[in-house]
Amino acid sequence: MVKHWWKALGVLLVIYTLTVGMLIPLRPGITAVSPSSVRTGEQITIQVAGYNSNFKKAQDSIRAWLKLDNERAIAAQSISVKDDQSVSLIFDIPEYLPVDQRVQDMTLVIDNDADGASLLPSAVFVTQDSIDPEMGQQVWKNADISNLNDKKGITFPFRNILGETIRNTYFHVSLWLAMVSIFIISFANSINYLRDPLPIYDYKAKAYTRSGLLLGILGLLTGAIWAKNTWGQYWSWDVKQNMTAVSLLIYMAYFILRSSLTDSEQKARIAAVYNIFAFVALIPLIYVIPRLTDSLHPGAGGNITFGSQDLDNTMRMVFYPAIIGWFLISVWISKLQYRMDIIHARIWNLDDED
Amino acid sequence: MKSKGEIWHLLRKDFLLEFRTGYAISGIFLYLFGTVYIVSRAFQQIKPESWNALFWIIILFASVNAVTKSFVQESNQRQLYFYSIANPIAIIISKIIYNILLLLALSFLTWGALSFMTIDPILKPDVFSLTLLLGSIGFSINFTFISAIAVKANNNATLMAILSFPLVIPVLLLLVKLTAISIGLVAQDITNDILLLLGIDLLLLAMTLILYPFLWRD
Repeated sequence: MVKHWWKALGVLLVIYTLTVGMLIPLRPGITAVSPSSVRTGEQITIQVAGYNSNFKKAQDSIRAWLKLDNERAIAAQSISVKDDQSVSLIFDIPEYLPVDQRVQDMTLVIDNDADGASLLPSAVFVTQDSIDPEMGQQVWKNADISNLNDKKGITFPFRNILGETIRNTYFHVSLWLAMVSIFIISFANSINYLRDPLPIYDYKAKAYTRSGLLLGILGLLTGAIWAKNTWGQYWSWDVKQNMTAVSLLIYMAYFILRSSLTDSEQKARIAAVYNIFAFVALIPLIYVIPRLTDSLHPGAGGNITFGSQDLDNTMRMVFYPAIIGWFLISVWISKLQYRMDIIHARIWNLDDED
Repeated sequence: MKSKGEIWHLLRKDFLLEFRTGYAISGIFLYLFGTVYIVSRAFQQIKPESWNALFWIIILFASVNAVTKSFVQESNQRQLYFYSIANPIAIIISKIIYNILLLLALSFLTWGALSFMTIDPILKPDVFSLTLLLGSIGFSINFTFISAIAVKANNNATLMAILSFPLVIPVLLLLVKLTAISIGLVAQDITNDILLLLGIDLLLLAMTLILYPFLWRD
């Protein structure tokens, strides 16, 4: 039992990912405002739709602002709560804004003691009838955004467009990272085979490639579902989607190559050579080309997956265990497969001796 | 240097064989002109975008055919003989150089034939020539190596396509992009793409040189 602790750990981590990743609620957020485009010099009533919010419960402590930039904001004149998910705010938009653009976007900030502060960037677009930054400076009634409340309890961040699908980070992204690690193990076993042609290295390389392929297909499927919900369609011909499809084709070709060779020693050697060549040829596919091209994926043109601000500490508490969990489970699956191969080989040898 | 001489002799042997039989080259060129003829008859009028796509599709299939042919022409016994007298690295390098020259000729001929029968949309011939050179190098390394693998599996032509097409996609994407630049469809600096293409070519070459010695022993 002591020897198998990592299998138990893998199962536990996957269960942890499934339960904690699915059950922890999202932080309250703002999903929509209407109207989202206003003119200067109006008194406007903005209907705000909240998500997971408790406007009714925290009725007396609600405060709201339209934020121009980090220093300047205007406060809501009056606030009336309809229910937990909707509130209407009345703002006085001044005649002039202290900016020299015709259309200025403003961020909506709502704060109360039950939900903490939530914000919607570029919630309202203000169109100026005439532009005069100096007049804007004079009529501007600045409101300080201070003493913001914090949300109590453990939550995942709320992000616009993503919404609940942010949980897919624990599946799509971590499956992908686990796949890369599994392919690295397979690659290392192929190198080992060429240095020292023992059948065990070939069994291992084959088994790990197979699990890696499984993880890749799962990563592609979870990604497609995520894309349907955020980008609007399952397949958008995004550069990373294409490159992933190509890399899966390369690894499927590995199995076709194996099945077209008959001599087992030759099969093992040529498969190892192809596996090494394919892995190295993959590097430009998944790490170089996506960085040079525009992508719908976050972090295009720089980071591989996403920027540091996309993961908060609560998400890290599930994200890293998820990677390790998927990785350990795949190692276990691979191990079962290559042990089967060893047993097969032994049975065949026994037959030969008879 | 000994291996330099070996490469030279092997190259000379490949060219001599080709000049004497003319089987591979004439077959490929016939294939090429046939395809170009069909394409230009089927597309009455070709837009520069379609020209780009057609050009690379023709080149892709012609190259696979060309490189596969260059490996099968030798019988197993003769290959064994070469391996016993020459260094495997010299063998693969000579094959790659031979295929680069073959594919270069093929690319420029396709360019000429396609321009003759349809249109010549290339505005920057210098960029396009560089693209063809780097493309021939990339295709040659990739296809030569994969055909060395496919030869072991009874030279299965389907296997050749299955194994090499996914691997050649990064190179092909960059080539299509560079061609679009030289047609004038996209205005962009080419330095990055050229360097990337060169990088991929070198990476593939390095892998081929490291791995080929493990392949030929049979």
